[in-house]
Amino acid sequence: MNEYAKQKRKEKIKFGIVSVISLCLFFTIWYVCTAVLHLKPDYILPSPVQVVEAFIDKLTRTAPDGATIFGHIAASLQVALTGYLLGALVGVPLGVAMAWFRRVDMFVTPLFDLIRPVPTIAWIPLMILWFGIGLGAKAAIIFVSAFVPCVINAYAGIKQTKPVHLWVAQTFGASRKEMLFTVAIPTALPLIFTGLRISLGTAWMTLCAAEMLASNKGLGYMIQVNRSLARADLIVVAMLTIGLIGTIFTVGLNALERKFVKGGRRG
Amino acid sequence: MKKKLDVEKMTYAVLAIACFFIFWWFITTFTPAKETTPGPVEVIQLLFTSFFEPIGSHVITGHLLVSLRRVLVGFSVATVLGIVLGVAMGASKWAEAIFKPIFELLRPIPPIAWISLVILFFGIGEVSKYILCGIGAFTNVTLNAYTGAQNVDPELVGCARMLGTSERDIFFRVVLPSCTPQIFAGMQVALSTSWMAVLAAEMVGAQEGCGWMIQRGSDTLNITLVMVGMIVIGCVGMLLAAVMRVIERRLCAWNIMES
Amino acid sequence: MSDEIKVKVSHMTKKFGDLLVLNDISFDVKTGEFLCVVGPTGCGKTTFLNCLTKLKAYELTGGEILINGEPVDLQKHNIAYIFQEYSSFPWATVEENIAYGLKVKKRPPEEIKERVEEMLQLVGLTEYRSYYPGQLSASMLQRVSIARAFAVQPELLLMDEPYGQMDNSLRYKLEDELIQLWQRTGTTVIFITHNIEEAVYLSQRILVLTNKPTSIKKEIDNNLPRPRDVTDPAFNQLRDEVTDLIKWW
Repeated sequence: MNEYAKQKRKEKIKFGIVSVISLCLFFTIWYVCTAVLHLKPDYILPSPVQVVEAFIDKLTRTAPDGATIFGHIAASLQVALTGYLLGALVGVPLGVAMAWFRRVDMFVTPLFDLIRPVPTIAWIPLMILWFGIGLGAKAAIIFVSAFVPCVINAYAGIKQTKPVHLWVAQTFGASRKEMLFTVAIPTALPLIFTGLRISLGTAWMTLCAAEMLASNKGLGYMIQVNRSLARADLIVVAMLTIGLIGTIFTVGLNALERKFVKGGRRG
Repeated sequence: MKKKLDVEKMTYAVLAIACFFIFWWFITTFTPAKETTPGPVEVIQLLFTSFFEPIGSHVITGHLLVSLRRVLVGFSVATVLGIVLGVAMGASKWAEAIFKPIFELLRPIPPIAWISLVILFFGIGEVSKYILCGIGAFTNVTLNAYTGAQNVDPELVGCARMLGTSERDIFFRVVLPSCTPQIFAGMQVALSTSWMAVLAAEMVGAQEGCGWMIQRGSDTLNITLVMVGMIVIGCVGMLLAAVMRVIERRLCAWNIMES
Repeated sequence: MSDEIKVKVSHMTKKFGDLLVLNDISFDVKTGEFLCVVGPTGCGKTTFLNCLTKLKAYELTGGEILINGEPVDLQKHNIAYIFQEYSSFPWATVEENIAYGLKVKKRPPEEIKERVEEMLQLVGLTEYRSYYPGQLSASMLQRVSIARAFAVQPELLLMDEPYGQMDNSLRYKLEDELIQLWQRTGTTVIFITHNIEEAVYLSQRILVLTNKPTSIKKEIDNNLPRPRDVTDPAFNQLRDEVTDLIKWW
């Protein structure tokens, strides 16, 4: 290994150690503030040790919030993925259609622009009133939050299609439909994936809110109910679990994108 | 030929919105849905009266201002902190090594997930609202400032250095201005996240504000109020985005002239 | 070059609103002929090609263009068009790009495979078959477009200043390759350029156009023997002749 590479490696190791120390410091300070100094009572801010204990406890116990951690995760995933898949299955084709067919664009875009500014959270009370508390309302809310970025990105992706590529297809005698499938959609794929990635993020985020207000199980519910039960340690467990699963989704989608979006293009 | 296209676009737009309203009116007058859902007429009526008759302790503009105030405070503080942290992480390897792991640990947690903890800690008062809005904004701004600072064109920096610019000046006159567009993009997203966070916070525990208004409508089975709230919230959201765009245009024009 | 007429342009006129671009142009292109069209930038050469292929839904304001005696039908007539800008599909490999035209024309897979192999060899890109356009150099990119065009064995090949953005050495190389391909396949070629040396080097006939409103200034036959030599006095004489015509564009 040459000098430059060696030096780069040393630097990396040095900063890696700094990062590890920083993290340890973070947890230590947290621990000290809670378990040692008791700056705030346990039920408001738990110590890291308590969080870990609560997590292990939750692996098997359903009390006090009605399910084990797996039960909550399963409930959350079910809702999130249902809403998300529906949102993507409707949103992407709609975005494509809006960008490809001029008439559809002129008719649907104004309607879409009406719905778009309303934040997803604002839909929650309406959905509860329409669907009651349960899978239906939650999935509907998540559908709305996933749907919007999918449409926007699919639309932008198709609109990105270079005219010259369409002309190539056209000169070879391709029909409109063939042009859509062999030129426009491949062009749009990177942005479509970006849309899928963003909407998974929004879906997961909205899930929190939806479950806090319209549910009796799931990670968001866990956060909500443990507030009234004064179990801050469980709240933190739920928060970290939400963060972890969110990260797994992002990493997973990035891997999928690298596989399907060929040519080294990113949206 | 362009004029013809614009007229066509307008016609379709008007047609689409008209269809929407007719459809809405039809469903709420002639189908079973009329039991549960108000029609466009009632909603528009309530929308107007809400400007004069208070809902809870304010008329609608009052609630709007309350929510906006909360967003603005949280957003501003978070933006300043976010820019500082983000640029620091992007410009200094030490800052990056120290702060990035903690940031990455906390980042995936959606702002709304923080509600319970924040409320336990700070109560249901204004402070927790500010903090929640802040959390919403902070992550986005920091991330964008970070990538912005990382991607500063090394040629620009090298050029300035060669011309004898001091390190301090390099930072304030080269690095910072070139991050600005990226930071603004982050701020726009952050603003809408803050807006959502304040609504969520108000729906969970508040006595006033747009989020509270909608929740009140939900609690009293007053769907008309819910819809009015949604419309107002949507409009404010659009307004905020538009304001951001205007500010960006002015600040970045300044940017071009300065550098 | 046979005596059959491949493309018959009669009184072609094109107006955009009030702007007259193509003014009553008539000429024939024989089957297998290599025709170069030279003219000032903006005189409507690209418009002419677009009218021919009905791209952008260009309809002629007057006159007609016939291929094999019939109005142009992109699905019936086998036309290939190489654009000035790089037009290979970034999401497909070199192989897939070359195969595209054949796929659209629904040729059987074995034929596609065979044709693609042949083209890869002809343009010298066999080792690069699985590369993506993003990984290729400029000359390779244009070669991909050329291979894609020739792969369908077009009866008419249109080229719009395809080498405009390249340096001379590259251009000479690609021009020679083009001549070879043309001689092998006997395609009819309409080649647009503003580079007179290129026109003299490639063509069997040169069409010199005027400024807008464009009409034909002169048709010049080019019977120089191949391979052509740019230092040859006859070459330069022809070149000067065309240049003189252009000076008074």
